[in-house]
Amino acid sequence: MLTTADLFILNLLATFAPYLIVAVSINLEYGYAGVPNFGKVLAVAGGAFMAGVIPGRILASTLGIGKGMDFIKSNVPIITQINGVISSNAISSLQIFIITLIIAAIVGALLGLAVAYPVARLRSDYLGMTFLAAGQVILVIGNNYSPLVGGTQGVNVPDPFQWASSFGINRDILAVIIMMIIAVVIFLYARRLTHSPLGRMLRAVRDDENSVLALGKDVQKTRINIIIIASALAAIAGALYAFYTANVFYASFSRASWTFWPWVMVILGGAANDWGVVAGTFIFVAVRQTITFFSSDLAPFIPFNPVWLDTLLLGLALLLILIYRPEGLIPEKPIKTIKDGRPPGEVAEEDAKSEPGGGKAMDKAQSLASRLKDLFTEKKKDEPTKESS
Amino acid sequence: MVDVYIITDAVVTSSLLALLTIGLSLTYLTTRVPNFAHGTFASVGIYVGVVVTEVMGLNVYLGLIPGFFVGALVAVAQYLLFLRPMTRRNANVTTLMVATVAFDIFLIAILNIFADYLSNAFHVEARYFQFFSLDFTLFGIKGLVFVAPILVVGVVVGLYLLLNRTKFGIAMRATIENPPLAGTIGINTDMVYIASWFLAGGIAGLAGSVIPLWYIGNTNVGSDFFLISIFAAAVVGGVYSINGAILGGLIIGLAQSVIIDVLALYIGAWIIPYQPIIPLIAMIVTLLLAPNGITGINYSGLKKKLRRN
Repeated sequence: MLTTADLFILNLLATFAPYLIVAVSINLEYGYAGVPNFGKVLAVAGGAFMAGVIPGRILASTLGIGKGMDFIKSNVPIITQINGVISSNAISSLQIFIITLIIAAIVGALLGLAVAYPVARLRSDYLGMTFLAAGQVILVIGNNYSPLVGGTQGVNVPDPFQWASSFGINRDILAVIIMMIIAVVIFLYARRLTHSPLGRMLRAVRDDENSVLALGKDVQKTRINIIIIASALAAIAGALYAFYTANVFYASFSRASWTFWPWVMVILGGAANDWGVVAGTFIFVAVRQTITFFSSDLAPFIPFNPVWLDTLLLGLALLLILIYRPEGLIPEKPIKTIKDGRPPGEVAEEDAKSEPGGGKAMDKAQSLASRLKDLFTEKKKDEPTKESS
Repeated sequence: MVDVYIITDAVVTSSLLALLTIGLSLTYLTTRVPNFAHGTFASVGIYVGVVVTEVMGLNVYLGLIPGFFVGALVAVAQYLLFLRPMTRRNANVTTLMVATVAFDIFLIAILNIFADYLSNAFHVEARYFQFFSLDFTLFGIKGLVFVAPILVVGVVVGLYLLLNRTKFGIAMRATIENPPLAGTIGINTDMVYIASWFLAGGIAGLAGSVIPLWYIGNTNVGSDFFLISIFAAAVVGGVYSINGAILGGLIIGLAQSVIIDVLALYIGAWIIPYQPIIPLIAMIVTLLLAPNGITGINYSGLKKKLRRN
């Protein structure tokens, strides 16, 4: 049996894993490439909706369950029957789990592409607006188009972790372990990505678009590519969350919880710093979990629903961070791509000094610079005399 | 009877959207930041309307004046407390945008708490309410159908007079054109920024206070329902122009209401909830074809191109 403390930790990690993936995906877009995606919920909900659509239907047709029944209307008996079959079959459970994650990633990437393609060549504020609108629209569709995820009823998702109990492992523990493994793999992937030449280019796109263009790089394509990758990752997070909770309900994918909270995590921890994002996500999830854990104790002391206390404090916290410490807890550091761990600029300088030809060029440049300096100082000396005369 | 509804719905929706979009463009032009909390200014107006009608028992249209001032106050507070300190610390546009999103969430939480307080303390309907029955009727048509266009005309004429006939308006236009230059000739640009936020929040609050006469009111109406349409209207009209904002608001309002109402008539009422897809499509199409909006199209250049072809 699990104690309250075990449950607290289990719940914490189960929330931490998908949010870490979403935070990493926002960090790729906003932290590195400067893309303000205010519709992260688009990809997350897209992935989660796929978890509601794909595995249930595939399993129902391959296992021959629920023939002649409407998948949405008689969703509960169909899924219960499916779970009964796959709970004794670990391999087919994991198969359907992985297939769904892949499909979710593809759908997420396509959603990201669909929004990014028309807007990527424009200024970043247009991207923010369009993503926000698209994120809102997918929830409208999820709410009203019931064949997708059951509309206001929601749908159940086949549970790919239930076979664990036949091996004597708790289902939730297995689910959390798998989710954490996937989250760590995605984190390492994003880290490799941003510590490569591509990572440097992303920062350049963020900091100075024109100089990137001058070097012959395609800014628009870079932006679209990073949005596609980040959306695919966010969709995986959505599907994982749906598998863990074993159901999909459109309202649990609100703008606040899957766009705004991950943004707070990234900015709190430090945009464009991988460990900062991990720290930010963990602190955020832990604090929120503690608040929810004690909110029933808090309820008699405040004259309103404690749910609002959450968003009130988080909104204010983000505003204060943005004013007083916009770089976050752990600020961005230059990427060390050279093996001995020095930033590239420093290495280039030393190389220039050590090489005989390069050294001469360096001296020449320095003497030129000092001559220019003299010119300017002379000019300044002249100015007051002119005025006096 | 249905045809009358389509026309009145179009009139009200486009008027409200034009009002809401003017403010967004105004703050965008002066402070150069798209305000993601702008829709929630309308929600603030909605709750001012609730206080005026349900708590105080006054006429709905008396809510217009406090709606204006409370909306203006909230907008100025947003600028002075959060955005100005950030711009002084050299925050870039993206950071400012994030701050407006954060302020939006913060403001929605305050509205929700206020709604809880209203329903607990005064036992009024503070969620999913409407004032349909409180509106007056003229020739069998709801009063808002007449009042909303009058408000648009009033605001447009007022803004025109302010921007073209007063010294402060000229200072405002100068600041929009070139802030450093305006500063060097002695214009208090900071005052201009505050004034633009005051007007933006005020006009949005004004429009918000009458929204429950036509739509179901709730704390998230401004941010979930209107914000997409406001952005779409601003983009379609052209974000760098107040005329564009009015034009865009009218176009998006018209498209949104007429297309959905006609489709609902022929396909079925199930299509109505999908309304937010229309502004999204309008926005994407505009960004693909004419990213600067209708007022940003270079018409003489276009003519030359067509002639050459």
